[in-house]
Amino acid sequence: MDFKDYYKILGVEPTADDKTIKAAYRKLARKYHPDVSKEKDAESKFKDASEAYEALKSADKRAEYDDLRKYGQHGQPFQGPPGWQGRGGFGGGGADTGDFSDFFSSIFGSRGNGFGGGQPGRSAGRRGQDVELELPIFLEESLSNESKKVSFQIPQHNAAGQHVSNTSKSLNVKIPAGVTDGERIRLKGQGAPGVGGGANGDLYLTIRFAPHPKFDVEGENLIITLPLAPWELALGAEIAVPTLTGKINLKVPAGSQNGQRMRAKGHGLLNKAGERGYLFVQLKAVMPRQNDDAVKALWQELAKKAAFDPREQWSS
Amino acid sequence: MSSPVSVQLDMQAFCEETQLPVAYVIEIVEHGILEPLGRSPEAWRFGNDAAGIARRAVKLHRELELEWEGVALALDLLEEVQLLRAENQMLRQRLGRFVHE
Repeated sequence: MDFKDYYKILGVEPTADDKTIKAAYRKLARKYHPDVSKEKDAESKFKDASEAYEALKSADKRAEYDDLRKYGQHGQPFQGPPGWQGRGGFGGGGADTGDFSDFFSSIFGSRGNGFGGGQPGRSAGRRGQDVELELPIFLEESLSNESKKVSFQIPQHNAAGQHVSNTSKSLNVKIPAGVTDGERIRLKGQGAPGVGGGANGDLYLTIRFAPHPKFDVEGENLIITLPLAPWELALGAEIAVPTLTGKINLKVPAGSQNGQRMRAKGHGLLNKAGERGYLFVQLKAVMPRQNDDAVKALWQELAKKAAFDPREQWSS
Repeated sequence: MSSPVSVQLDMQAFCEETQLPVAYVIEIVEHGILEPLGRSPEAWRFGNDAAGIARRAVKLHRELELEWEGVALALDLLEEVQLLRAENQMLRQRLGRFVHE
């Protein structure tokens, strides 16, 4: 069990007054709250800050902690002063703040879990925690009912509501056709097991479309960027364009512009009505990388004959 | 095989599911954080996303000591940030297809 320097965690001096401690905690809590923050260690940093504040916000606990602090150093193993036993077991302060570290509970005793207390009409036992996961899927997989194997960690709690370990679980999940990016899927009873006869928690999957090498997503429509030679734009061309499931033949009309969009009905993603959106084909002019003298001469001839000023709008 | 379910929970079931007291749920609905079907609390029906939103709201309320108005605003802004991030990512991806190295 390592010692935790709660002042260091909050970034305040050990002499800081209550107001300073509260302000430091609030700032960290906002910054690292798992529902707000994008940082990857947000959750553990938020927990550390909450724990530090819980220890320092009341004068009694703070005094107790300050006494012990003389015997410990941040991140170093901690045994306490000679003869010190701590409070170990149960019966701690009655705060309502999830799982704190062993270090915290050895000083102040352990605590119950999140929402304690009597809920109306509830049977004994506590419902298991819900588990939330992001599930990346390929665009192709959104077109039909696909089954995907999902592996995840389930938190295990003891009777006192403390988080003791994680177990791994694997499930085959049916992904309904026509799912959208960001959609949440609920699998009842597949979360953490209930405690003392309580119901199991649920598993929530948030669908995330994996980026596709060719296609971009715009609602129920797809976009593909079609590279064309300048003369293909000028003269028109018939091109085999890839779709999610195969190919279509697309006629690019003569005189098309760079960036122009064409559309193919029924080759987009599947929507909730069971219909497929558009595939937009966006034209992109690509210049040849190298030109030999003969080709250069042709460009020069074109430049002379075409008499084209692409910056006409600027000359006013 | 596990199949996703679509649910419509009434007040009691919703409270059990989220382990929230009725008073909290009413508070959350009155601030427009959740928009259940039905007019009165007895008739309310909560959909698939509601439990997650409610839990998030309560966490912000407790852990950041926010008033419900603040929670509602934070959730709206967080949603907007998420939409903008997704849009930004999509536009960057689009742009990447047109920019030459």
